[in-house]
Amino acid sequence: MAQHSIRFRIRPDGRVEELVEGVAGNGCHQLTERIEAKLGTVQQRQPTADAYQGNSAAVIPEQTLTTPVH
Amino acid sequence: MSHFSTVKTELRDRTALIDALRDLGHSPSEGERPVRGYRGQTVVADLTIAAADDASASDLGFRWNSTTGSYELVTDLDLWQRPVPVERFLAQITQRYALRSILAASAEEGFQVSEQRQAADGSIELVVTRWDG
Repeated sequence: MAQHSIRFRIRPDGRVEELVEGVAGNGCHQLTERIEAKLGTVQQRQPTADAYQGNSAAVIPEQTLTTPVH
Repeated sequence: MSHFSTVKTELRDRTALIDALRDLGHSPSEGERPVRGYRGQTVVADLTIAAADDASASDLGFRWNSTTGSYELVTDLDLWQRPVPVERFLAQITQRYALRSILAASAEEGFQVSEQRQAADGSIELVVTRWDG
């Protein structure tokens, strides 16, 4: 039995950071793809080794807003 | 291979959006309805929250944009009287939408929530786990 865990941090502005822990099984890939289909475009993807070395920051918040034009 | 991704959330899934709006205390109406703005002008949206439903401010709605494949907020900003600015309002919905989307997708893939908590900075931290035999 292997345990697969995915850790999410959902920022107050709605950005999602996802960390797949350990060697990901197929289930993790399927879940990641399913979630990304609902949420949107991946802005950054990098190996966790990089993430732990603190090179992962610098994410630019973006929001789109549409209002009717008079 | 382990990886770390950052996703800019777009409101793509209707069910998750409805769940998010309900979580935040709104009662969205489904189906095309007019969103009322200044001097009775209207635009049609696919999900609407009438002003009377939450006793403040103007109507607002969400309209499907087939070009971007996501829902967009429509409202008359001149009539905006809610307690939070529109950017914050939309951010709250987007955060809740992301949570609902992840919970639904996790359940569909057989993952269980092993940890969920609100961090001091307002982030929601979530861990989902699955055992594969």
